Amino acid sequence: MLRIEKAAWDAMVSHAEKIFPKECCGVMVGVDGVVKDAVPLSNVYTGPQEDFFVMDPQDLNRVDKEARARGLDVLGVYHSHPNCDAYFSKRDLEHSCSWFSYVVLSIKNGRFDHANSYRPDFDQKEAPKEELIYG
Amino acid sequence: MAKVLIPTPLRQYAGKHDSVELQGATVGEVLTALTAQFGDLRRHLYTDEGKLRSFVNVYVNDDDIRYLNKDATPVKDGDTVSIVPSIAGGTAGVAGVDAPPATLSKEEILRYSRHLIMPEVGMDGQLKLKNAKVALIGTGGLGAPLGMYLAAAGVGRIGLVDFDVVDFTNLQRQVIHGTKDVGRKKLDSAADTMQDINPYVEIDRHEVALTSENALQILKDYDFVVDGTDNFPTRYLVNDACVLLKKPSVYGSIFRFEGQATVFAYPGGPCYRCLYREPPPPGLVPSCAEGGVLGILPGVIGLIQATETVKLILGAGEPLVGRLLLYDALAMRFRELKLRRNPECPVCGDHPTIHELIDYQEFCGVPNQTHEPTPAEGEIDPVEVKAKIDRGDPFVLIDVREPHEYQICRIPYARLIPLNDLPKRVNELDSADEIVAHCKSGVRSGKAVDFLKQAGFKKVRNMKGGILAWSDKVDPSVPKY
Repeated sequence: MLRIEKAAWDAMVSHAEKIFPKECCGVMVGVDGVVKDAVPLSNVYTGPQEDFFVMDPQDLNRVDKEARARGLDVLGVYHSHPNCDAYFSKRDLEHSCSWFSYVVLSIKNGRFDHANSYRPDFDQKEAPKEELIYG
Repeated sequence: MAKVLIPTPLRQYAGKHDSVELQGATVGEVLTALTAQFGDLRRHLYTDEGKLRSFVNVYVNDDDIRYLNKDATPVKDGDTVSIVPSIAGGTAGVAGVDAPPATLSKEEILRYSRHLIMPEVGMDGQLKLKNAKVALIGTGGLGAPLGMYLAAAGVGRIGLVDFDVVDFTNLQRQVIHGTKDVGRKKLDSAADTMQDINPYVEIDRHEVALTSENALQILKDYDFVVDGTDNFPTRYLVNDACVLLKKPSVYGSIFRFEGQATVFAYPGGPCYRCLYREPPPPGLVPSCAEGGVLGILPGVIGLIQATETVKLILGAGEPLVGRLLLYDALAMRFRELKLRRNPECPVCGDHPTIHELIDYQEFCGVPNQTHEPTPAEGEIDPVEVKAKIDRGDPFVLIDVREPHEYQICRIPYARLIPLNDLPKRVNELDSADEIVAHCKSGVRSGKAVDFLKQAGFKKVRNMKGGILAWSDKVDPSVPKY
């Protein structure tokens, strides 16, 4: 189960809506399965960003260090699906990392629609949904 | 000793340490020492074959080892080794892990019973239809039967793309719209009919002209694209977009009594550019508005497209790939031409030169509106023509339409010389006279003016907007067709 506190959740939604129609991405930090903070990152994908995102590993490394310094953990990553449902796509799965929760936000016509959280497995074969509580 | 930083999610497998000091002369040795000490970490970093998992990046200080010496990258005392996952993803990819609906309701089972009792469709096939997403470009002649039958068949999501409005000249063939819909947006009229036929279908309304800027964005959400348009720029645009998105496109075209259909951009199959690398010069191939079309013809061709679409969704039968089906309504004959993918094709070939959408208006020689100031010279407004007739000005008005069009309506003062007859009848005209040419909308008379100018006539003008504009501006009793 993943719980996202209101301030962090609001930051994620407004980030995703602002970047629409491109895909946004970011990191969720917190402790014991509760997200306290959302850290928006740049989508560094050099192709069309409407249906793909790539995080800069250096950014991820920096967020990890900063979280440690505050006694928090990196719990997961989030990204948006513009004008598309919040499923875990084939592409998501092919690029997934089993260490994290993946929150997917569906943004339709620039407004938040719904979200899901997934836990991909090591082999990038499956990503079962996990319970997600936000707001 | 090198210091290995353990990312947060892995700390639980590394004795809760956030970093570990380890011995080793290379990155490989340090990581081996790490997994030897913490066995649980191994499967998070390595595959069963012993390779680093694809999402694991390793940095020595600030450098990614992929760009150094990989596993053999040397590590010195005091170096920091970081393990950083690579994170990426995106919407693309039809198969989501979130399973699509796996059942039909009682009402749907009843509705689709004639499909369900055929083993070639059955429950599996009907669910494929329900989960399919099809983009339908245009809700005109071809789009009408396509929209109605794809909805009736139970295609779960249909995206309509159109920005036109229903008018009376559409009703002879666009059976998805009725007389009551004249003046309405085609999108709304078509969606209402489809929703009435089958309320279980989800309809996306894209009220835009498909362009290079929006095509990929609109089409990417669908599994298949059906092209029901009748102009070259859109045809090339749909083709290139489908090739780039790797989505099959179901093609159809109609003219007068003849039609064509095939499936393009199917894996291994040809695309529209393999067939026609470049568009014909503008004006050479008349549109249905210019040349006419038998109203029933789009019904036949549209339903061939609908059949192919449903077959593609079901994965049933032999798709119309690599075969161009030709239909001649007057002879009532079907023929087939073999088509092959052209390895030299600029978009789907082995070494494509087109990697993104281009300006298709320019490609097809259609002038951009912004570069087209009204050429006042050589044109004359119908109102002025009427004034000349009323004043009794000496001039010759020629009507370059066909005799059967002349039967529909005419301007009393005009003399009929069909465009095709003009070369052999040019001696009936005197180059000393002032001449005005007109046709239905101004296209053919423009050609007549060009021809006469080349033949040495100096005082020739084209009546702007043809007899349609005459009906609008001068004499509303003249019927429009």
